[in-house]
Amino acid sequence: MSTKLQIRRQKWALDNTRNRSVAEGLAAPPAFSPSGPASSSDVSKKTDVSRLITKKSWDLALAPLKQVPMNLFIMYMAGNSISIFPIMMVGMLLMRPVQAIFATKSTFKMVENSSAFKQMFVYILGNCINIGLALYKCQSMGLLPTHSSDWLAFVEPPVRLEYLGGGVSLL
Amino acid sequence: MTNLGHFITLCATILSAHAIYEDQVGKFDWKRSFIGKVKHAQFDTKRLIVTTHENIIASLSPKTGEIQWRQLMEDPQEHQPQLLHLDKDAVTVSGGKSRFYVRGWDAPTGSLLWEWPLVLDRPGDSFWLLQGDLLVHVLAIKGSHMEVTQFSVKTGEVRAKTRKIPETWVSGDKCVTANPYFVCVFNGQLFWLDVVNEGGRASSQPIQGGPDCNLLEFDGPKPAVLLVRQNSAKIVELGGAVLPHEVAPNAVSIGSSVFQLEANLDNLDKLVRVKSFDLVSGRESSVEIDYPLGLGGPYIVSGQCRGPACELLLSSTDHALTLVRLPEGRVSWTREEALSNIISVEFFELPVSDLEASIETEFTDNDVITMFTRRISTQTKQLVNLVSGQFGSTRDDFGLHRIIVVATAVGKLFGIDTLRNGSIVWTYRLPNVKPVMLLVQRTARHAPLPAQCVLLAQDVTTGGGVLFAFDPISGESRGLDRLSYRIKQAFVAPNEDEEHLKPVIVIGADDSVRVFPERGPKTVAYVYTIDQSLVQGYRLEPDGLKPVWNLNLGVCDLVGVSTRPVTERVHSQGRVLHDRSVHYKYVNPNLIALATLSEDPVHKSVLNVFLVDGVTGFVVYSTSHKKAKGPVHLVHSENWLVYTFFNERFRRTEIVATELYEGSIQSNSTVFSSFAISQLPEVKTESYILPANPVSMSVTLTERGITNKFLLVGTSSGSVVEIPWMLLQPRFADMPCGPEESCFPYMPEIAIPPEATINYNQTLARIRKIAVAPAKLESTSHVLVHGLDLFYTRVAPSKTFDLLKEDFDHRLIVLVLVGLVVASYVTKYLAAKKALRQAWK
Repeated sequence: MSTKLQIRRQKWALDNTRNRSVAEGLAAPPAFSPSGPASSSDVSKKTDVSRLITKKSWDLALAPLKQVPMNLFIMYMAGNSISIFPIMMVGMLLMRPVQAIFATKSTFKMVENSSAFKQMFVYILGNCINIGLALYKCQSMGLLPTHSSDWLAFVEPPVRLEYLGGGVSLL
Repeated sequence: MTNLGHFITLCATILSAHAIYEDQVGKFDWKRSFIGKVKHAQFDTKRLIVTTHENIIASLSPKTGEIQWRQLMEDPQEHQPQLLHLDKDAVTVSGGKSRFYVRGWDAPTGSLLWEWPLVLDRPGDSFWLLQGDLLVHVLAIKGSHMEVTQFSVKTGEVRAKTRKIPETWVSGDKCVTANPYFVCVFNGQLFWLDVVNEGGRASSQPIQGGPDCNLLEFDGPKPAVLLVRQNSAKIVELGGAVLPHEVAPNAVSIGSSVFQLEANLDNLDKLVRVKSFDLVSGRESSVEIDYPLGLGGPYIVSGQCRGPACELLLSSTDHALTLVRLPEGRVSWTREEALSNIISVEFFELPVSDLEASIETEFTDNDVITMFTRRISTQTKQLVNLVSGQFGSTRDDFGLHRIIVVATAVGKLFGIDTLRNGSIVWTYRLPNVKPVMLLVQRTARHAPLPAQCVLLAQDVTTGGGVLFAFDPISGESRGLDRLSYRIKQAFVAPNEDEEHLKPVIVIGADDSVRVFPERGPKTVAYVYTIDQSLVQGYRLEPDGLKPVWNLNLGVCDLVGVSTRPVTERVHSQGRVLHDRSVHYKYVNPNLIALATLSEDPVHKSVLNVFLVDGVTGFVVYSTSHKKAKGPVHLVHSENWLVYTFFNERFRRTEIVATELYEGSIQSNSTVFSSFAISQLPEVKTESYILPANPVSMSVTLTERGITNKFLLVGTSSGSVVEIPWMLLQPRFADMPCGPEESCFPYMPEIAIPPEATINYNQTLARIRKIAVAPAKLESTSHVLVHGLDLFYTRVAPSKTFDLLKEDFDHRLIVLVLVGLVVASYVTKYLAAKKALRQAWK
C-alpha cells in the first residue's frame, strides 16, 4: 500500500518537473505581455473571492430553510404521544433555532467585508420558521398553555363581600 | 373491553390505596370506649357488671377499670335498664313504657344466654323483683290497683296468672321494691305487700313527716327502704322499727354495714369522707378519701366488702366513675364517662415552643451583651432538649399534634391530645350548664398571644345564656359571663381586633345584639336563624338587627341544615372538561342547605331540599323526592351538596349529589357578592344507591383545598367509610367519561369496599358525629368520630403526596451520597497522581 502510494507520488512529482521544465524552455506566445494582464487577473481573482463569499453566505442563510423538510419528516415520525423521545426531539427542534438566532453574529463573522443584511434576515427568518414548526408540534402535542384550563390553577378564589353567620335557633 | 379494563385499574388504584397495613394499626389512630352514666352495678369476684343510662351492660375490671366486655341494647331514648341481678349469670330487664326485654348474660364472656320479650297491654309504672329463678313484674296503676305477674326468668313462662290487687295506695311515683315486698308511701303512711309469695296481705305503718316524703331502695340485710325527707333519710325496716340513725340519701348497705359520703370540710386536700356504721354492732368509722379534684359531687352506686377491705363504686354528677378502696381511702381508677356524650368538637394547634417564641424577641434589645447571653442561654436550652429528647407539648412541623377540645352534654370540657393515645390533657367542669357550641376566637398562630375559645352554653335552671372563655391549650379559665337572657344564636365575626381576637356576636331572644369582648370591632354581617319552618334573614348593623327577608317552608319538619365549613378553602375555581375548557364553579360561601320532610296524601312523605342564599334569601335551587323518609343527612361543601335519604318506594338508601356551575365564563373572578347574581347557576345532579345505613356524614377538609375530597359516612353497623367525591360527582351528559378524562362512568350503586373503612376492624358504637379539621400538611386531615366511642384517625384522600413514605430508606440515601462524595474525592486524587506520573514520562 505504502509502496503504491510512493510510486504514485513519484509519478506525479515526475510529471510536475517535466511540466515546469517544458514551461521554462518555451518562449512566450505572440501578443503576450507578461506585465499587462497581471493586473486584470488580480481583479478577477478578487471578484471571484467576493462572489465565493456571497455564495457561501447565502448557503449559510438558506441552511435553516433547507432543514425544514427534514424537520417536518422528524415531526411526522415522532408522533403526538408524550414520552421521552418525542419530548427530546421537540426540545431539540425548539432549542437549535433559538441558539442559532442568538449566534447569528458569530455565524456571519467570516463574511467580514460586507454586512450581509439580506442573508442575516433570511437566516433569522429560516430559524423562525423552524421555531414555528416546533411550536406547532408542541401545540399538536398539547404542550402549549393555550386553554383556559391551563391557567385555572392560578385563579385566586374570589374575596367574599358579605359575611354570614347564624344557624338553627337555640331557643 | 380495554376501556373496561382501564376503568377497573383506575377504580382499583383510587379506591384500594387508602387502607392501612397491618403494622400501621394504632399508629395514627386511637379508640377509647365508654359506657355512659352508670345506673346499676354489681360486684363479682373478678369483675364489676354495670348497666348504664345508655342502655348498656358492661363488665369492668375492678383493678384497672377497663372494659372487659360491653353489650349494647336498644336505643336509650326509649329503653332503659330496669333491673340488674348478678348471680351466676347476669340478668337484665330493660325497656320502657310497654315493651321490655329480659336477658341473661354469661358474666365472664358477656355472651347472650337467653332473651325473651314482654309486651304489656296497657302502660303503667313497672317494677321488677327477682328471687331465685322467679321474676316478678308489678304494674302499678295509680290510685286503683296493681297487676302482679310471675315469670320464669329463663324462659319467660308465666308461673302464676296475673293477680289484680285492688289497692288505693298504689301511687306509682312514690313506690319502690324491697325484696320480696312492694312498698309505697301514701297519705303519711307506709304500705307494703309481699308480691312474691301468694296470699300475702298488705300491711301499713304510720310514718312521721309531711307529704314531701320520698322512698328510695335500700338493699339491707332485712327488707328495708330509705325514707327521704329533704336532705336526710331514715332506714325503715319493713315490719320492724324505724332505725334511729340519720343517714344521707346516698347511703348504701354492704353486708351489715351502711356506707355514706359526706363533705369533708376539715381537710381541703381530701374533700370527701366515707362514713360507715354497722347495723349489728353499731360500730362507726370514717375514712377520708383522695377524691380527685375537678370531678363532680359523688354518690355511691355499689360496693363490696371482704373482711375489713371494701371497694366502693362512686359515680358523680359529671358521670365520672370512680372506684375507691377502703380502709386506705385510695382511688383505684377513674373513668370519664362524660365523654360518651359529646356536643361540640374543635381542633387546636399547639403553641410554638418557648425556644421558638424566644427567637421572636431575640433582636428586640440593642444591648450586645444581653443579646449574647440570651443567645447562649437559648442554645444551651436547645442542647439540653436535644440530649434529654423532651420537646413537650409544642407545635410540630406538619400540624399533626393537636389538642382536641370537646364540650360534653354534662357541661364538662376536655382537652384531648391527638397523639399519646388520646390521653386527657385537662378537664374543666362547669356545673349546671348545658353546652351548645364551641366558638374559636383566636388560634395559637398569633404567638406570643395564647389561643382563646368560648363555650356557649345554657344555664340548666334559668335557661339564660352562659359564655365561658378559656385557653384551649391549658384549660385555664378566662372568665365566665352569665347572661340574664336566653341566647337565640351566636357566631364569630370575621374581623379581628388588634390582639387578633375575633369577637363573638350574641343575639338574644329579643333580637338584641351583644359583642364579646365589648370593645371588639364593629361588624357588618348578615345573620340567619331557623325556627322550625321559618327561616329569617337579618342584617347586622352597628345599631342592631334589621330583618331583611324571611322564608316560610310551610308545614314540615326541618330534618337537616348544612353550611360550608367556615375555614374551607376552594383551590380550583372550575372543572376541566375533556376539551380542556373550563366550567367555572358557582362557589357561594353564603349558601344554606335545608332539608324538610312533609306529609303528603298521595306520596306519603316528601323530602324537599333547598339551597338558600343566606344574605339575600334567594332560593338558588330546590328539589323534592317523593316517598322519601328520614334520616336525612346533608353535607354542603365547595359548590356541591350531598344528601342521603331512605327511598320508601324501592326500600333502599339513596345518596344524591348536586353540583352548581356558573358556566364557561366566570362572572367576577376577584370578588363574590350574593347580590350580584345575573342568572341562576347551572345545576348538575345525579343519584346513587348507597348500600349502607348512614347515621352521620361529613367531608374531609384540608389546609388549602388542593387535595381531593372524601365523604366520610358513619354507618349504623359501626364503621366509618370514605367515599371519594369523584365517584359521586355528577357527570356531564353530553361529554365522554372514561379513564382519559379521569372520570368514572356512572354506576348506580356506590361500591363500599372493606378497605374504605377508616376504622378497619374497630367497630364504633352509636356514632353520633364526625368532626374534621385540616392538618398543616395539605394531604392530611384529622378525623374524630364520636358517639359512645371516641375514634381519632388521620385521612389522606390523595394519599400522602407531600410526605415521604414511611418505609423510605433514609439510611441508604445518606450512605449512597456519602459514598459518592468519597468516591469522587478519591478518583480526583488518583487522577491527579496519574497525570503527574505521565507528565514525568
